[in-house]
Amino acid sequence: MIELINVTKEYQMGDTVVAALRGVTSSIGKGEFVSIVGPSGSGKSTLMNLIGCLDTPTHGRYVLAGEAVEKLSIDRLAEVRNTTIGFVFQTFNLLPRLTALENVEVPLVYAGVPRAQRREVARAMLERVGLPDRARHKPNELSGGQRQRVAIARALASKPAVLLADEPTGALDSVTGEEIMELFHTLHSEGSTIVLVTHEPELARRAERIIRMHDGEVV
Amino acid sequence: MRGITQWENTRISVRSIAGSPIRSALTALGVMIGVAAVIILVALGRGAQTQVESSLNSLGANLLIVYSGEPRGTALVRSNTANIRPTLSEDDLAMIRALPPELVLLSAPASTANVQLKFENRNIAASVVGTGPEYPEIRNFRPIYGSFFTEIDVERRSAVVLLGAQVYRDLFDPGRDPVGESVRINGVSYRVLGVMEEKGSAAQDSSVLIPISTFQRRVSGDSNYAMISIQAASSEVMREVQSVIEQQILRLHRLPSMEYADFYIANQMDLLSTVAGVAGTFTLLLASIAGISLVVGGVGIMNIMLVSVTERTREIGVRMALGARPRDITAQFLTEAVVLAIGGGIIGIALGITGSWVAMNMARTAAEVSIFSVVAAFGFSVLIGLFFGGYPAWRASRLDPIEALRYE
Repeated sequence: MIELINVTKEYQMGDTVVAALRGVTSSIGKGEFVSIVGPSGSGKSTLMNLIGCLDTPTHGRYVLAGEAVEKLSIDRLAEVRNTTIGFVFQTFNLLPRLTALENVEVPLVYAGVPRAQRREVARAMLERVGLPDRARHKPNELSGGQRQRVAIARALASKPAVLLADEPTGALDSVTGEEIMELFHTLHSEGSTIVLVTHEPELARRAERIIRMHDGEVV
Repeated sequence: MRGITQWENTRISVRSIAGSPIRSALTALGVMIGVAAVIILVALGRGAQTQVESSLNSLGANLLIVYSGEPRGTALVRSNTANIRPTLSEDDLAMIRALPPELVLLSAPASTANVQLKFENRNIAASVVGTGPEYPEIRNFRPIYGSFFTEIDVERRSAVVLLGAQVYRDLFDPGRDPVGESVRINGVSYRVLGVMEEKGSAAQDSSVLIPISTFQRRVSGDSNYAMISIQAASSEVMREVQSVIEQQILRLHRLPSMEYADFYIANQMDLLSTVAGVAGTFTLLLASIAGISLVVGGVGIMNIMLVSVTERTREIGVRMALGARPRDITAQFLTEAVVLAIGGGIIGIALGITGSWVAMNMARTAAEVSIFSVVAAFGFSVLIGLFFGGYPAWRASRLDPIEALRYE
């Protein structure tokens, strides 16, 4: 599903070039639940951005769901993010003016799915994360855990190949965090490919496999 | 199938605008005022233009006036002709009256003099006009009370008079019927036939009218006329009538060309087109000033849109992460700017039409809302939305999704 071959990422910082990734080679199979763990500055955020197609590698190859992503145009990258990646963020990143249902619909809006169909899919996704009765609520009317469930429903809406979660429990208390982790496990058992990025080794161990990052390399 | 539709973009924009109504109203305020200003100022300009044209037309339809003497200014109607030496003869008038009705419908000679008017114990200075019975029709200047003198009065040199509205007010107590009363002009008694309508021009309202033959006999003692008013058959033939009459009078006066002429012809058409040109320029000037305020309104939109893009950096990042292409972000913000501008434009049109109505009905100013200015102001506000929304929208689309997602 995800194939990274000798991927490097360099940033120009003034006169110096900083390497955030120094030749990462890794692969994640379909249906796997993998965590990427490492201290801050280890390059795990950079790796996550690359996997999420928010960025492209400086060198190396990245094949996502059979498509070489490293040389795609900006527009095509947006389409890949839309259809192949489902993002779950630490701070949920729901759009505050939209209802839960409308938030879940957003990826489908950009996919050009007609409204009635969108509604139907979004309702199904809210049901799947256990929030069928919160469809009309705005994010500020929901608890943290509920917000993250809405965000997960949104990530699932376009039936992505990979669910990419960046510290999904970081803004939640431990009980709610646990519920979210259970939801991920349920989704995994239903066949989703999940990549969990975290700096907590505790959380990372809950995945099937751990990719440890240190100084821009996989260790 | 792929990609967001413009309809969805419009929905997003409308929601965003409705989400902060006060800010949106303030943002669109500049365009509102600009559009309203364009419509009101153009309406006032056109109103003024129409008013001047109609007051010119109220002098008489298709009017030409042959004046004695040298050309003076561009005025169609000269306010004081009493001191001109009359050079137009009975032959000149006969020639004009002999012209075919396809060219000239009516003509009336006139001469004027300054006289003393006396009624009972009141005594005023006024100007007396000697003319023919065609004069009211040609000059669109009719009695509102009583009746004008006739051809018979001219033939008999009757001592009859019609009073200008101001003269009537000066000589008679309000409500007093003047018809049949006698007023004295330079000591000679005249029977009052009626009162002329008020034209708002001192020259007409402060004069009295008597038959031309009576004028020649009793006032001037001169058989020439100071001027001849002519009603042409149509506006199309006015230039032709002018040139025919010029040629004929030159011939009758044995003069080689207009350079040596002892008369000249004022043509209503020339005056109308001059006035229309001036008024058009004036309207354009007003519209330009209003247009500037519209542009300032556009800058207001740009300003707020730039702030809005910064404030919504995170939203932009989220949308990008979820699959919005840069062009979708551009479209979203451009649509928002255009919707704001159109909203401002529509309210501005309503304000403009209301304002013009108020100017017309409350302030009693001539105002004429032009459909063209409404359409143009609306179209211009759409363009302003596109133009001034363009840069903020472009900035939004250029955001790096990673940076945008991190933005606090």
